[in-house]
Amino acid sequence: MFDKTNSQHSFIDPKVLARLSGLGLHTRIPMLGSVSGRHRSSVRGSSLEFAEYRKYVPGDDIRRMDWRAWGRSDRFYIKEFEADTNLRLCLIVDTSGSLNFTVDGISKINYIKSLAGTLAYLASRQGDAVGLYCAGKNFHTEIKPKRNATHLRIVLNELAEIKAEGETGLAESLHKAAEGIDQRALVVVISDLYIEPDILNSCFQHLRFRKHDVVTFHLLDQSEVDFDFDRPTRFVDMEGGVPIMADPSLVSKQYQQAITGYLADLETVMLDAAIDYHRVNLRDPVDEILARFLVGRKPKKK
Amino acid sequence: MSFLNPLILAALPLMALPILIHLINQHRHRTVQWAAMMFLVSAKRMHKGMARLRYLLIMLMRIAAIGAMIFAFSRPLASGWMSGVGMGKPDATLILLDRSASMETQNIQTGESKRSTALKKLAELLEKRDYGSQLILIDSTNGETHPIESPKALIGLPITEATATSANIPGMLETALAYLKANKPGRADIWICSDLNENDWAPDSGRWAAIREQFAQLKGVHHFLLSYTDQPSNNLSIRVANVKRRQTRNRDELILDVLLRTENQQTQTSNVARRIPIELEVNNVRSVIDVELDAQGASLQGHRIPIDSKLRSGWGSVALPSDSNPLDNRFYFVFSEPPVRKAIIVTDTSKTGKAFRRGLGIPTESHLQHSAKVIPLSRVTEIDWESTGLLIWQAPLPSGLLAKQIESFVNSGRVVMFFPPTQSGSEKLFNSSWGNWQKPEQDRGKVAWWRGNADLFAHVGSGDPLPLNELRTYRYRTIESLKAENPGTPLARLGDDKPLLVRVATDRGGVYFCSTLPTAQFSSLERDGVVFYVMLQRALAEASRSLSPASQHDAAPDVLAGHTPWKLVAPIENAPSISQHGLHAGVYQNEGYWAAVNRSLDEDHSKTTRVETVDELFDGLPYQRIDDSVGNTSSLANEIWRIFLITMVLALILEAALCMPEKKVAQQRFNEFSMASGNMKQESL
Repeated sequence: MFDKTNSQHSFIDPKVLARLSGLGLHTRIPMLGSVSGRHRSSVRGSSLEFAEYRKYVPGDDIRRMDWRAWGRSDRFYIKEFEADTNLRLCLIVDTSGSLNFTVDGISKINYIKSLAGTLAYLASRQGDAVGLYCAGKNFHTEIKPKRNATHLRIVLNELAEIKAEGETGLAESLHKAAEGIDQRALVVVISDLYIEPDILNSCFQHLRFRKHDVVTFHLLDQSEVDFDFDRPTRFVDMEGGVPIMADPSLVSKQYQQAITGYLADLETVMLDAAIDYHRVNLRDPVDEILARFLVGRKPKKK
Repeated sequence: MSFLNPLILAALPLMALPILIHLINQHRHRTVQWAAMMFLVSAKRMHKGMARLRYLLIMLMRIAAIGAMIFAFSRPLASGWMSGVGMGKPDATLILLDRSASMETQNIQTGESKRSTALKKLAELLEKRDYGSQLILIDSTNGETHPIESPKALIGLPITEATATSANIPGMLETALAYLKANKPGRADIWICSDLNENDWAPDSGRWAAIREQFAQLKGVHHFLLSYTDQPSNNLSIRVANVKRRQTRNRDELILDVLLRTENQQTQTSNVARRIPIELEVNNVRSVIDVELDAQGASLQGHRIPIDSKLRSGWGSVALPSDSNPLDNRFYFVFSEPPVRKAIIVTDTSKTGKAFRRGLGIPTESHLQHSAKVIPLSRVTEIDWESTGLLIWQAPLPSGLLAKQIESFVNSGRVVMFFPPTQSGSEKLFNSSWGNWQKPEQDRGKVAWWRGNADLFAHVGSGDPLPLNELRTYRYRTIESLKAENPGTPLARLGDDKPLLVRVATDRGGVYFCSTLPTAQFSSLERDGVVFYVMLQRALAEASRSLSPASQHDAAPDVLAGHTPWKLVAPIENAPSISQHGLHAGVYQNEGYWAAVNRSLDEDHSKTTRVETVDELFDGLPYQRIDDSVGNTSSLANEIWRIFLITMVLALILEAALCMPEKKVAQQRFNEFSMASGNMKQESL
């Protein structure tokens, strides 16, 4: 399934995969899969895990009647069990030019590739379907989730081909994905989220309305927060906008005010839409981020 | 504001350095590929209002710091009057110091006089301010220029000490003018320190127009008047108007007329009389008498002081208790036996000679001795010039050696009266000559006008005029003046406007020209008698003053002229240096002669000139008046570089405070939020 010698997929680190192999990818909400899998389904099924009793209604299969309960209470109860199904992992990655931002040789786009590729591999390994949506203004790729190894290669190949350029089209992509993904899915958004929080709010509310389990990896570097420059600088917009000439000693405080306000607003948006939000520092290792993410989603034992 | 190092102000453009650095930094930028542009746009949008103000303040503080540093190094002087002067330093500074007696008015609390206050302040100011390469003091006593080494040297020099003289401010300015014209120093400052005494300034003098005009032609000359016009709060002056030594059968005594004058405004307006003690000192014997003062002062007429009969001549003084001007509190006098009043009449007409001898032979007072001798022109070589006081010359005007002898006679303080000779001639003496004999028309021979306030025809002591209106002139000879601009002072004019008596201006002594003769053929002078007698006696009295071994003088540089030096007799304490003899009040002795030197009458009586009048004297010239008060201890100009230094430090501190980096709240928040976000509420789903 994963070709270790294939340099095209170098953004996936086998060591990371090995480190995360013991952790499964779980959803926070029941899924509606097409086949049996490791994830809780929203419908009752025939698994071994008891779900609940309910009163018998005419038409129910009498094979599922709990006779012992009838013997004790002289009433008919149907015994229901949880159904296990697979999930659809939809990876929505931002491909705007701003993701070319590089710190210490690590660019955001490569970090996204690594993060998304690893997640795709983990999902595929446990039998889940993986899809990919690339969100660029002029470039929009849509690979519907499927659950075979060939499809994973297609996804990974697509990831490898991604180039960060142009303005962001994340908002449109999110709306499109919300509409385009038929069934419940685990939607993972990986982006620097340089969009107004109000716009993002509508996108995430849309996804939540479609009952998707939405995860957001927000890529942000410490240097972007600190804005630590010591002399006048010409800032070139990586998304092709108008360059700005600024004296950091003059605008530093305002910049930090703006980013602090933005992060606070974003936090509110994420909480309102119940988004599993992860702010990722580019300097943090991918395995650490994913381990935290996977551990955090592990179902609690009842 | 003025500056001690004005050249440093050329560095003021350095104040633009912060702006320049800012602009250079703007061009020294680097280019960065940046992702989070939306925050930068917001930041730029927010970088208005307070942030912009803060930045402007930072720039302002930097500019202010540099400016303050430059100003501090240029050593600014704070004084309102200096603002209009300009900042260039002078090439020469001329000090016209008024050393007159009135400048010694003191502030009783500080003990500083107007002169010493002015001198100290000026020395201090010039020490701080650049005075150029030449510092010149013009002495008010003699108008001489003295180069001074440094402003500090001004204090303590004999030529800056107090004197009893009067100042001649127009004369001093003329000296300054001559100096500036001769040396051409370029930019020059002239400092005049004076109390604006009317006697010293003579604001009505025609010399001022010429001075103003000539100064206007000089470029770069600034006039500063350091004026002390404050009137003394309580000042009395004392003076001996007359002193006589009288010898009676029983005893010898001095008869003094003492005058006291008050300058206190309150005393002058109040009617309350007060008594004041006067100390009299004669021959080192002191006595004190009380004198009652009225609004104007007091007058002690004919005060008698008995003296030893063996004391033929000597000196004394009258003194007041100390007040705001110590220089007018003591007056020295000298006395001696009255000399024989000797007159020589040179005439070839015996009738005329007899008329003159009759008028001169009878003394006005019984104790006086008169001697009048008539000699013909051919025996003039027999005249004893030393013992003669008055010379009556009724002969053709002399020339050659005789003329020089008469000029020398006049210069020694004696008096010559010229009467017209009967024979014609064109000789001239004292820039005057005789014209032709005239016969006035009917009623034109009367005296139409005469000067009654001074000189030979002055009113008598009771204030009544002499009966000149009764005088008749039948023949007279015109007096021709060879000096059109200074024809002499007419003392009386006839009906046809021709002068009857003219006084020719001389430095010392007296020269009179009378246009008629006393005999009946020419006038009624002899017949009416009174005018003739008074005229001759007054001339003789004036002439006799120089014969007396004791003489009173107003303080002046050349008052003690002579072949042998005069020895100072009094005062013993605070005696002036030899070079200053004659400028200070005191008693001097030279062999058998006594001289008492005191301040002039004008120093006691002169008023202060109005400052507006003084300002008008400098109208059109670069001129600044600085009104100061006696004893005022504040400097004319203070160095205020410390203020600028403090300003610079404050500006730098403020700039540093404004540049202080603020706390990086966002970084902290990033970490906190990053940690929290991983465990976002699963339960809420």
